[in-house]
Amino acid sequence: MIKNYLTLALKVLRRKPFYTFISLFGISFTLMILMLVTSMGDALFGAHKPVSDLDQLVYTPFIERYTEFYDTTYTVDTIVMDDGALRFDSLQSVEPNGSMNNSNGPMSFHFLDEHMRDFENVDSYTFFSDASHIDAYLDGRKVSLNTYYADAGYWQVFDFDFIHGLPFGPDDVEQGNKVAVITDRAARNYFGEVSAAVVGSEMELGSERFRVVGIVERPLIDDRTVRGDIFLPVTTIDNRQYTSTEMYGPFQAVFKATAPGKRESIKQQIEFLADNFEMPPESDYENIRFRPGTYVEIFAGSTVMENDYDKAKLMLFIPVAVLLFLFLALPLLNLINLNISRVYERKSEIAVRKAFGADSRDILYQFIFENLVLTFIGGLIGLALAVLVIKYVNANDLLGIVRLSFSVQNFFYFLLVILLFGLFSGLLPAYRMSRTNIGTALR
Amino acid sequence: MIELQNISKSYRTDTIETLALQHMNLSVPAGEFLSIMGPSGCGKSTLLNIMGLIDEPTEGRVALAGKEVTNYNGSKVARFRNEQLGFIFQSFHLINDLSVVDNVELPLLYRRVSGKERRRLALEALERVGLSNRANHFPTQLSGGQKQRVAIARAIVGRPNIILADEPTGNLDSHMGDEIMDILTRLNQELGTTIVMVTHDERMAKKTHRLVRLSDGERVS
Repeated sequence: MIKNYLTLALKVLRRKPFYTFISLFGISFTLMILMLVTSMGDALFGAHKPVSDLDQLVYTPFIERYTEFYDTTYTVDTIVMDDGALRFDSLQSVEPNGSMNNSNGPMSFHFLDEHMRDFENVDSYTFFSDASHIDAYLDGRKVSLNTYYADAGYWQVFDFDFIHGLPFGPDDVEQGNKVAVITDRAARNYFGEVSAAVVGSEMELGSERFRVVGIVERPLIDDRTVRGDIFLPVTTIDNRQYTSTEMYGPFQAVFKATAPGKRESIKQQIEFLADNFEMPPESDYENIRFRPGTYVEIFAGSTVMENDYDKAKLMLFIPVAVLLFLFLALPLLNLINLNISRVYERKSEIAVRKAFGADSRDILYQFIFENLVLTFIGGLIGLALAVLVIKYVNANDLLGIVRLSFSVQNFFYFLLVILLFGLFSGLLPAYRMSRTNIGTALR
Repeated sequence: MIELQNISKSYRTDTIETLALQHMNLSVPAGEFLSIMGPSGCGKSTLLNIMGLIDEPTEGRVALAGKEVTNYNGSKVARFRNEQLGFIFQSFHLINDLSVVDNVELPLLYRRVSGKERRRLALEALERVGLSNRANHFPTQLSGGQKQRVAIARAIVGRPNIILADEPTGNLDSHMGDEIMDILTRLNQELGTTIVMVTHDERMAKKTHRLVRLSDGERVS
């Protein structure tokens, strides 16, 4: 019987090309958009090399110094006592009035070194600077490189894939060795090749020469913490920046917690540091804070310019979710509408089938099966479209360095959702039709 | 073959009750070709629907092929219709999405007959009505007479004991109508199928074994 339902479903779809096209377009388009949106979400917020342990990382990109201004309010209550004498109760309250002086920016290495090395529940951590560009020279040719100055912990927090060579180690950092790890793209641009022979070669960076010790794959994600072309030991940065005792500098910190659940503990320790920090007496500000957060929190906070990360996430993701829902609801509602009108259009067919021996269950199954076949075909087309669009976006760098990827798992989840939708969108009209009165329908 | 005893049928709305049939008794022996005539609204189609288990009588008893079927419902009535009854409608009611042969196969689909056997029986039925050369056409490609012949093939493909025809020549010219009547007469004679036909056409009614006349929901002859 299933074979009969399938054959019949395919025949009906073939005989109604316009209806079939509209329905398939709606289903496949919906599925494709779902796939692309999740792929983009995964590219932006998923764990990808070299940030594989994203769910363990706490980012502390800056320090904020601030002074809050308070209003003092005096309240005086006058009470008439039994003997007619007056008594006065006064209350003094001091509350922030909402205005503030503040200043924020990345931190100095000295500040991080002094205050942020001894947190608990930290597996590894790194202090690094991502704010430099260096011009490299080769045979009179200039290559501009996005330069990161990092400590040895950088290679523990981020798991770069080394194509050749190794990262620089604590000794290199301590001794200020002129060594460099470069990306494959930088190797290709500077040396014209990505080979083991590049390791050990020297690069002329500004007025200094650095020896390449490792070549890593260039990360294809939009995470500022790993987007460098070249990585140098932190001790090779301009000495004034390295030794500056100011609070501000070009550095930020990333902590890798021992487990995802320990991130909160690290954030609390950072906040504790801020709450108990004694500002230098000559400072223009009274307090500091860091606003440590996960990648998603930092992204949301900076995108909607909101310091409260929970609020920032709601502000960013609720409108996105609502828009997405509305966007997807349109083709799906259209599908339901089409289903209803199509089923009613076939009222006399249903009556004939019942007259010749179909019972209500046969009719119900037939229509549901037709819907599922239609949805399944739409799903396959949606899959093909999603793969094509992803390939096109990646091949033409439409999202910069970000690479979209196709998730088979997501595809099956969404196909299931679409099939369920197909099932439910057909269920009610099919049920109503299965109860058609033959006499009335054939009149 | 068909026994109707004291059948009444009324349709009720909030304010009006309409009597379509009143205390109707009718007995159709196996192999008879019976025609029913009467003015519009006299209850002919209602009577046919009750015989075809498409409609239920308000009161009375229905027995078909020796079985008391008055209280049949759900899948039981569906199976009975599938095995014992064949329908021919004035407006043909073919499924335009299906080819001629697929339309004819329809009753066998619900009898769980294999695809190969279905095709063989459907082509045989089409052969009987002279349309085997149109098997792969679609209903929209056929004339009215051809459509009705397909409908007859669909009605007989499952070898039912009873065929109920509701004005089968009503939408056809007299030449086509004669052709259809010839086919029905031949089926009745060759296969011994009991046929009950509602018609407005006295000429067609005369070709059947017996004529029953209705007026205002009652049998008048």
